[in-house]
Amino acid sequence: MDTPPRPITGTWSDDPAHFRKVNRRNFLTVGALAGFGSLTLADLLRSEARAEKKDYASFEGTAKSIIHIFLPGGMAHQESFDPKPYAPIEYRGEMGNVQTKVPGVLFGDTLTKTAALADKLCVVRSMTHGEAAHERGTHNMYTGYRPSPALQYPSIGSVISHEYGPRNNLPPYVCIPTLPNIYAGTGYLSSAFSPFCLGSDPAGGGFKVQDLGLPGGIDDSRFSTRRTMLSAVNQHFQKKEASDLLNAMDTFYDRAYSLISSQQAREAFNIEAEPAALRDAYGRNTAGARMLLARRLVQAGVRLVNLTYGGWDMHNAIVPGFRGQMPAFDQAFATLISDLEATGLLKETVVMVSSEFGRTPKINATAGRDHWQKVFSVVLAGGGLMGGSVFGSSNATASEPEENAIGPEDLFYTVYHTLGIVGDKELMAPGDRPIEIIDGGQVRKELLS
Amino acid sequence: MRLLSVLRHRIQPLNPLSVSSRVSAMDASRRILKATVALCAAFLCSGSGPGFAQEAVVDSLRVYPPEIILETSRSRQLLVVQAVYSDGITRDVTSQAQVQLSNAALVRQEGSTLYPAADGEGQLTVSFGGKSLAVPVKVTKAAENRDVSFRLDIMPIFMKTGCNTGSCHGAARGKDGFRLSLFGFDPEGDHYRLTRELSGRRLDLAVPSKSLLIEKAVGAVPHTGGKRFAPDSEICKELERWVDANCPNDPPTVPTCTSIAIYPTQAVLDGEGEKQQVTVIAKYSDGTTRDVTSLSLFLSNDDSVASINPDGSVTAGQRGEAYIMARFATHTVGSQYIVLPKGLKFSFPPQTPVNYVDELVNAKLQKLRMAPSAVCDDETFLRRVYLDLTGTLPTTEDYQRFVPSPDPQKRLKLIDELLERKEFTEIWVQYWAEWLMIRSNNVISPKAALLYYNWLADQIGRNVPLDRMVQELLSASGGTFKVPQTNYYQNETDILKVAENVAQVFMGMRIQCAQCHNHPFDRWTMDDYYSFAAFFSQIGRKGGEDYREAIIFNSGGGEVAHPVGGRQMPPKFLGGAQPDLKGQDRRVVMAKWLASPENPYFAQNFTNRVWSHFFGRGIIDQVDDVRISNPSVNPELLAELSKRFTESNYNFKQLVRDICRSDAYQRSTARNDSNKTDEKNFAHANLRRLKAESLLDCISQVTGTKDKFPGLPVGARAVQIVDGNTSTYFLTTFGRANRETVCSCEVKMEPTLSQALHLLNGDTVNGKIQQGGLIAKWLGEKVEPLQIVERLYVGCVGRKPTAEEVAAFQPLFPAGADPKPVLDDLFWSLLNSREFLFNH
Repeated sequence: MDTPPRPITGTWSDDPAHFRKVNRRNFLTVGALAGFGSLTLADLLRSEARAEKKDYASFEGTAKSIIHIFLPGGMAHQESFDPKPYAPIEYRGEMGNVQTKVPGVLFGDTLTKTAALADKLCVVRSMTHGEAAHERGTHNMYTGYRPSPALQYPSIGSVISHEYGPRNNLPPYVCIPTLPNIYAGTGYLSSAFSPFCLGSDPAGGGFKVQDLGLPGGIDDSRFSTRRTMLSAVNQHFQKKEASDLLNAMDTFYDRAYSLISSQQAREAFNIEAEPAALRDAYGRNTAGARMLLARRLVQAGVRLVNLTYGGWDMHNAIVPGFRGQMPAFDQAFATLISDLEATGLLKETVVMVSSEFGRTPKINATAGRDHWQKVFSVVLAGGGLMGGSVFGSSNATASEPEENAIGPEDLFYTVYHTLGIVGDKELMAPGDRPIEIIDGGQVRKELLS
Repeated sequence: MRLLSVLRHRIQPLNPLSVSSRVSAMDASRRILKATVALCAAFLCSGSGPGFAQEAVVDSLRVYPPEIILETSRSRQLLVVQAVYSDGITRDVTSQAQVQLSNAALVRQEGSTLYPAADGEGQLTVSFGGKSLAVPVKVTKAAENRDVSFRLDIMPIFMKTGCNTGSCHGAARGKDGFRLSLFGFDPEGDHYRLTRELSGRRLDLAVPSKSLLIEKAVGAVPHTGGKRFAPDSEICKELERWVDANCPNDPPTVPTCTSIAIYPTQAVLDGEGEKQQVTVIAKYSDGTTRDVTSLSLFLSNDDSVASINPDGSVTAGQRGEAYIMARFATHTVGSQYIVLPKGLKFSFPPQTPVNYVDELVNAKLQKLRMAPSAVCDDETFLRRVYLDLTGTLPTTEDYQRFVPSPDPQKRLKLIDELLERKEFTEIWVQYWAEWLMIRSNNVISPKAALLYYNWLADQIGRNVPLDRMVQELLSASGGTFKVPQTNYYQNETDILKVAENVAQVFMGMRIQCAQCHNHPFDRWTMDDYYSFAAFFSQIGRKGGEDYREAIIFNSGGGEVAHPVGGRQMPPKFLGGAQPDLKGQDRRVVMAKWLASPENPYFAQNFTNRVWSHFFGRGIIDQVDDVRISNPSVNPELLAELSKRFTESNYNFKQLVRDICRSDAYQRSTARNDSNKTDEKNFAHANLRRLKAESLLDCISQVTGTKDKFPGLPVGARAVQIVDGNTSTYFLTTFGRANRETVCSCEVKMEPTLSQALHLLNGDTVNGKIQQGGLIAKWLGEKVEPLQIVERLYVGCVGRKPTAEEVAAFQPLFPAGADPKPVLDDLFWSLLNSREFLFNH
């Protein structure tokens, strides 16, 4: 009884990649159970998933939340976190570099503030995958999977929603400002795990989260009257009908009520509540506002905040591109790290800066760089990851990984690990196909502190 | 052969579905309780009805396989005897049955397995419980050994023991340095990799048991996949025999497996723990057969109902229905298992079936010992049929006209009336637009998308027979403006993807798996896949006069090559013949076959999709995931619907009429004791959330407001949206399909936080209530508040408020107080209510 059940040899149950039939599980059956107890939907989905064969209980991780900063378009690694000052000019580009706080480690010269905090960062310079098209690369860097024609994989945020559910009445997965791309969605998981999108940019003047505030003319007491009336109206139907669908719907109404009615939860979205000095420090611009709001949200209990910043597809004129966009990022990011540090959140919050790929080793004819997926950089910080380190390296021209090449599988496996989620665990896709959260990855211990 | 047919006849002896004398035109008086008709009577006559509560006796025996053929000393046959009792229960009585051979020298029996002893023919007589049955036995070459064959004996081992699965050596890059083709799609390559790829230890010709292949599998050396079988197992001996024979490859003449059969074909098990052994027979291209039970992979589609172990022994679990499937070579077959609570006493209540739909749905329920729920009341029916047929809610006038009417024919009349509404057409245009992925993109201009949509709307609107419409669509050539249906080929230009889309939309099958390996749980091989794709390899595309227009034509050249070996694949219908294509456009030939009775999946696919619209789930569900391992819950029903649909010359409205008239469609959602666990046999109605478009349209309808979508006039409804790219926050949040793929899964019905927040706080509900100003208007017309309450209830949820509800609202309107805020809140509550969001 001590040994975990082994797959039965010679049955299809033996093949973990396909079609292991367990009891019919889908969103709906879970809802049915919800009617009988006080378990939340996420609890149920979780406990139900534990019944499967390739399963692991989550454990106490080093991190509680993630801030995922995605730089869409494919940010050049040469101009940012992996400069090659000794490469010929057509490779290294025109931009200079700056010595970081970690001896011998250089960053691009638009990252001066970040360089001063490099002892908090874990710079991965040997990231590699096989996809040079935007959408495919983006898919890799949101899901940890190569795109498949047969299956849509869930994003890391949806997987975390699925595994952990909400905390402090806040949605577990929030996108700032909107759904950044289709790969940030739920994939084969139920859309119940989709991100909560603000629908409005915190940098903008009239920032207001979509549907969070009560409509004009309705105050708290009127809303509470409405709730009472709604529950009275629902009564007749609820007496008559018993369905998993109804329970599932109720679950989300309850979540909405708790979000609307919890002052604390609503306050998490209120960027105005931050001191003016801190807002200035972050920068009153897209990068600053989004990162500051991200900090507020993880502080309040959101598990994964995804935000995007800028456009990095610099086929032309890469120098002005960097000079235009990177300083704001630099300021905001450096402030984010020191702010997280100051509030004690850094040790339990993973910050990940990534892009779909890097850019070509050589400057092209239009003074830009093109898509390059063979090697690029990702920056990690906090949450039990190794600060002040550089993981792996690219070769002299930043065109291939030189040592410790790492793919999205290992990166995501390791990030999941910091949250206490085992990447090898299987979730159920339609057709009752159990699919690993990450296929074939492993924890790269060198990334952990 | 004659014996065989007699036997077959006995195998399905008492089909309670012999419905010859069924009354089917009782539409009118169905709610008047008529005498107990047909079903019960038929049942009592047959004596095998589940309603038969007396002591059950053996009614008949089934012996499997129906004939026993043993060839060479290596053959054997596992015998299974199944007794069918008068109460419909089946039992595995193989070990208790008496077996007698007319010529005892022919075979040797060990347990339930027969081995050849001497050549000759004879008869095996099996007796049990007073019944007996004889099956023919034929033994040839009893003294001859059969040489080991790589394809016939070794390849099946890799599948049975899980070596060539996707997570092990079947992975594209193999595992731990050793690769096999996934599920054995490439035997030649596997032979090469085993024997030639690596010098050294993989195979040890001198001491076969020391081959790494075997040492790893028996766990003698560390193996990531663990121990797969024991050193003294039959499988291990067979591998050693092959290595001992110098690892021979097969001559090109080696027979291939052409089909397999699993027995028994059906079982009804009496309570948890009941067992039933299965036996699997493979047929080969040279006419031989073989017992492959020990080499088959087994699977239950619901382990909680019936599970199966690797030896093919089924164990019953909780009440329900499961399919037990066996896979061998590229074939998969299934058999139905019904598990009942032990000693269940049940009698099927008398039914008055309206038409064949009811007969067949009830027949299945009867097998499951479930009673259908009652027919729903008029209010529920009115709302349900309006939503399903028109995507709108019945108005107050509709309600007042229908509900009080004493006309016994009123439901029939209403169905016929709604079928003629333009809203009915619009719902189906919307479905088709999803299936055909009508949306503008980089390649398809908004103008082309609009023309495409108009073509579609015109076809559906004129009720063009489905076969003609699909043929016109798929064989079209010309400009994407002039012949807008050619946009179908502009939407997707990848040959393989086009083939996959056609299979998924028009046949309900996902053949994607077979792009890279033989489909593991269906019949489709890579050959099938690439041969089908070859129909789409000669589509020419060029620019038209208008830069936004493209011209699709038959280029007459281009082939599809098989990725293994690079063979050019001749076009072959999916699951059909290889047509003569000389001088013809491949697509024309394909379309003619695809949308015709020759293609059995065409009508089935469409009827299943239509069914799913009215019941919330298909007879095969998901509707575009038809495969052997996803069996139909009621094959007879689906077959009959498809047959009639085909015979009616693909008359869509007739199909819908048949479905809507049936009690099966009109049932209440209330469950009874016997059907409370049913989720898929249509024993009761199910709640269904409204689709995003209908939901928005209904909110606009009851609030008396209009929407404006880009490219459409003010007041156009969401269901009329032309372009998949056109959406609103509301529609996206409620899971509207954006038509990027053909998958039915694009439409999302699961609830989310954003949906709840939007209905509670968003501008759709709150804004529209104010914008429509209905309450203010009625108050202005001096309508009493309680009357307004009633109007709101009837408008939103299709019923009058109950007495309790009225009593609860009464005190909210004290004299002198402004009733408007209360009425606003009620309106808001109704639009947020579950009763409004669901069709029930």
